[in-house]
Formats: sequence, C-alpha cells, structure tokens
Amino acid sequence: MIETQWYLLLSAGVFSIGLLGILVRENALIYLMSVELMLNAANINLVAFSLQHGNLTGQVFALFGMALAAAEVAIGLGIILVLYRNFETIDVTVPTTMRW
Amino acid sequence: MDPLVNLPDWAGMAPMLAFAVTALVLFLLDSIEPESDSLSLTVLTGVGLIGSLAAVVLSGWFLLEAGPVELFAGAYVVDEMSLFFTALIGSVTALVVLGSHDYIAETDYRAEYYSLVFLAATGMAMVASANSLAAAFVAVELVSLPSYALVAYLKHNRGSVEAGLKYFLVGALSSAIFVYGISLVYGATGALQFDMIATAIDGDALTGGPGILGLGILMVIGGVAFKTAAVPFHFWAPEAYEGAPAPISGFLSSASKAAGFVLAFRVFTVAFPLDAVSGTFDWTLAFLILSIVTMTLGNFAAATQEKVKRMLAYSSIGHAGYVLMALAAFSGTGAESLLADVSNDSLLLGAGMMHLLVYGFMNTGAFLFVALAEYWGVGRRFEDYNGLWREAPIASAAMTVFLFSLAGLPVGAGFLSKYVLFMGVIGAGLWWLVVIALVNSALSLYYYSRLVKALWIETPETPHEIDSYPAGIYAAVVAAAVVTVLLLPGFGVVAEEAIAAAGALL
Repeated sequence: MIETQWYLLLSAGVFSIGLLGILVRENALIYLMSVELMLNAANINLVAFSLQHGNLTGQVFALFGMALAAAEVAIGLGIILVLYRNFETIDVTVPTTMRW
Repeated sequence: MDPLVNLPDWAGMAPMLAFAVTALVLFLLDSIEPESDSLSLTVLTGVGLIGSLAAVVLSGWFLLEAGPVELFAGAYVVDEMSLFFTALIGSVTALVVLGSHDYIAETDYRAEYYSLVFLAATGMAMVASANSLAAAFVAVELVSLPSYALVAYLKHNRGSVEAGLKYFLVGALSSAIFVYGISLVYGATGALQFDMIATAIDGDALTGGPGILGLGILMVIGGVAFKTAAVPFHFWAPEAYEGAPAPISGFLSSASKAAGFVLAFRVFTVAFPLDAVSGTFDWTLAFLILSIVTMTLGNFAAATQEKVKRMLAYSSIGHAGYVLMALAAFSGTGAESLLADVSNDSLLLGAGMMHLLVYGFMNTGAFLFVALAEYWGVGRRFEDYNGLWREAPIASAAMTVFLFSLAGLPVGAGFLSKYVLFMGVIGAGLWWLVVIALVNSALSLYYYSRLVKALWIETPETPHEIDSYPAGIYAAVVAAAVVTVLLLPGFGVVAEEAIAAAGALL
C-alpha cells in the first residue's frame, strides 16, 4: 500500500499548481479550472486520509465537495457569460470601473 | 418545565426551514406565472416578509421555550446561539425584502431575486447550526453561491457584473482554501464533527504531527475571514458592496458577516478549544493580528473615500475588526468578567453577538438609505447627498441615527454593544487593543459625520428632483431606525440572552 504522505505530497502539488494558475493567469476560464484543481487537491486528501483512518467520513465529504464544485462552476460560468456580454472579454484584469 | 406540545426533534429546524420553504414557494409562484412582469411584486414581497418574519418568530419561540436539539448524529445542532443568529438573519432578511420592493420594481426575474435571497438566508441559518466541518462547508457554499448571483443581478450594469465577478473570484479561491484546510484537519484528527475533533486533539491522537493540524486551522481561518470580510480576504468587499444592488450590499455586509462570525465562534470554541490547541496553534494570536489590521485598514480606507456606498463598505470591514476582538481576547479560562457575574469569555462572545445584532439593523438601514438615494438617482458621492433633508427629512433623520450608532454615539444601541465588547477586552487584560479600537472609533466618527454634515448642513448645487416616495424602502429604513433606537433601552434583556447563549456554548 502506498503510504499516506505520498498522497499528501500529490495533493499539495495539485493545490500549488492551482494557486499558481490563479496568481499568474488572467483568463477567467483558466481561473475556474485552477480553482477546480485546488478543490480536487482537497478531495485527494480526504479520500487518502479516509483510507488511513479507516472511516468513511472523508470519502462521503469528497462526494459533497465534487457536487459543490460543480455548482460553483455553474454560477461561475454564468457570471463569466455576463462579463463577456458587458466587457467583451473574459480577462479578469480588464473590468476596473471601480477603484479604491 | 413541560413543553406545551411534544414536538419531534426535527421541529428544531423550523426556523431554517421557514427560509427554505419561502424560497421554494417563490420559485413555485414564478413557475405558475412565468411572465416576469405579470407576477405581482406585492405578492412576492408579501410572501418574503411572511417567510422571514416567520423565521424570526419561530427562532424566538424556540429560544424561549425549547431546549437544545442535536440532529443528524450531532452534525446539526439547534441551540441558543444558532437561534439567536437565525433571528438576526431573519430580521435582516425582512428589512432587505421590504427594501428591495421598490428597488427591483423595474427589473426582470424578481421572483428569482427573492428566491436567491431566501436560499442564501437558508444557508446562513444552516451555518449558524452547523456542528460539523462538512455541514459548515455545505452551508457556507449555500450562502455564497446565491450571493454571487445576487451581486451580479443587474446584469446590464457594468458595476454590478464586475462586482459579481470579483466576489466570485475571491470567494471561489477562499472556499478552495477552506475545504483544503478542512481536509488537513480531517487528516490530523480523523473526524469532521466539532466535538469529535476536540476529543481527538485533546487525546493527542493526532496523525502526522501538529504541523498538519496547525496548517489546517490556519486555512479554516482563511475561509472564515472571507465570510466576515476580514483582512486578508477583504478585497472583494468594497467592490462587491459598491457594485451590488444596495439592499444586497446591506444583506451581505450584515447577515452574511454574522453567519461567518457564528461559524468562527462555534469552530474555535468547540472544535479547537484553546487549552487543547494552544501548543499547536494559538489562534487567539492570529485573530489578534487580524482584528488590529482589519479595523485599522477598514477605518482608514473608509476615511479617504469619496463615494458613500464605498465608505459604508470599508466601515463594514472595520466593524468586522471590532467583532474579531471577541475571539482575539478569548482566554479559554473561566475568569470573571468586569461587568457581570459571568465568565469573561461568555461576556466577550455575547458582546460580539450583540454587536452583530445591532449592526444588522443599523448597517442594513444605512445601505437601504443608499438604496433610497440610488432609487432617486441622487448620485454616489458625498456632495450628491447635500441638503437631502429638505426632500426626505424622515429618512435623513433615520440615516443620522444609523451613522451615529455605527460610530458608537449613544443615540442607538451601537454605543452599548461597543461598550460591553470593549469592557470584555479590558477584562481579558488587552487594554491596549481597546485603545486601538477607540482611536479607530474616533476616526470613524469623522467620516460618518461627514455624511451627516452633507445631509443636514450643506446646500446642494442643483436642487434634487424627487417626485415619488417609495413606501417599501421608507418602511424598511424607519423600521431599522426604530429598532436601533429601541435596542438602547432594551439592550440589557437581549444581551442577557446573548451572553447566556455564549455561555451555553462554552
């Protein structure tokens, strides 16, 4: 059996790739994909730890996580659609009508 | 005392279900009458008002008559704290529904707007009752997802869409961080339910050493900081509150913030009790830093704003900083408080709850006044509000009450909630934190009175052209002002309830 720390390493890697994508990319769709990576990193953790602890709590929560990620994408795509209709771009750095 | 009627346990969910049922009834009405302009707005507002007031009444009744209930194997608890916050959320929802009546009269999809408000309120009530990280995450998402859509509701308005986008981007990132933190906490303890997490931490049954748990707690703080609009996850707040429809700004900055705080109170006192985790990760220190940075940044940024709505947004960040003091000064010991014969910790949390309650009325009221100004097309800057008292003396008087109460002057209950909160912090020995908070409050008086001055003293460059007086927004503004003032004499009664609720949690 593969030891749990390798799964943790994998999930930390996936999480970091997602975070990097959020920080450096400007396309709203890439942003959504990066968030998905981060959410799935958590799912990897939950399933791996569930196996280690020998209870099913984590696996069930991973299913919840997937459902919520899908719901989040649905709302996100809707917002990106109205973004495109209003600004004719999906670059997240363009809308700057409000500034502090 | 024998209960009057023997209710099943699940009846404890009634206040939350009142929100959920209202949301579904609104969807049903909308599907019966799909042409959005033929469906009477009055019916929608009426259903919304009945639903939200039913939630308030039900939670008040359970608060007084019924004991705590645990449901779903302990993942969902209905106790005094959750009922207190459900009543708060119901009151804010009622104000927002009433205030939205005229605000969204000209738009399409009004039934959906109200349904989304009620879905978010359902989520907030669930957050208040969640006793497991899994339930908390689902509930937090149920608050967030309708909120994103509501902020971007004015879909032909570039500001609203931009605000929705920014809220969504920061929200999606912080929910990913939150759920990753939950997975680490689960990895370290093997449990998601708050009391089981505490048992695992206390029994030194940690997997993978304290590092994983500490990182997990830090990431959970990140998720909470987003919901409460605290630094460093506050970036969305000024944008989202400024661009969103004004009643929604009030809804998010009062009810959504309160939901974030009840989650923080419950997670950190039940799941991560200070005496058990202080060796791993002393969260009071994290909240101390967050509190100082949040209140200072919020108030200083508010003082430099030119637009009223944005000033209120930053002041809302500042108020999150005040309430965070309740967690920063938390001691985990049963030390006596300075004010009453209760432990200082329950006084602190009770004062935080009271401040959120009062804030729910005065801040929602202030945003609804902005909604009134937007309805009239007055303009967004301070100068545009000049001399508004000539046209709207009652609303201006109400706004003055809100602003002075927000600043902490004794015209509204904001004075007392701040006073009790500060006394609790002093009781914990953090007098210098109170000094920082007082400096911030003094600064806040400057920018709040700037608006009061504009309303009453300055003369407008061009006279305002106001031909209609929207009854819904007016009623909501006046109701909020009346409650803000009435909580001044009624403070003691409600505060006792809040402190008892906090004491029951500890």
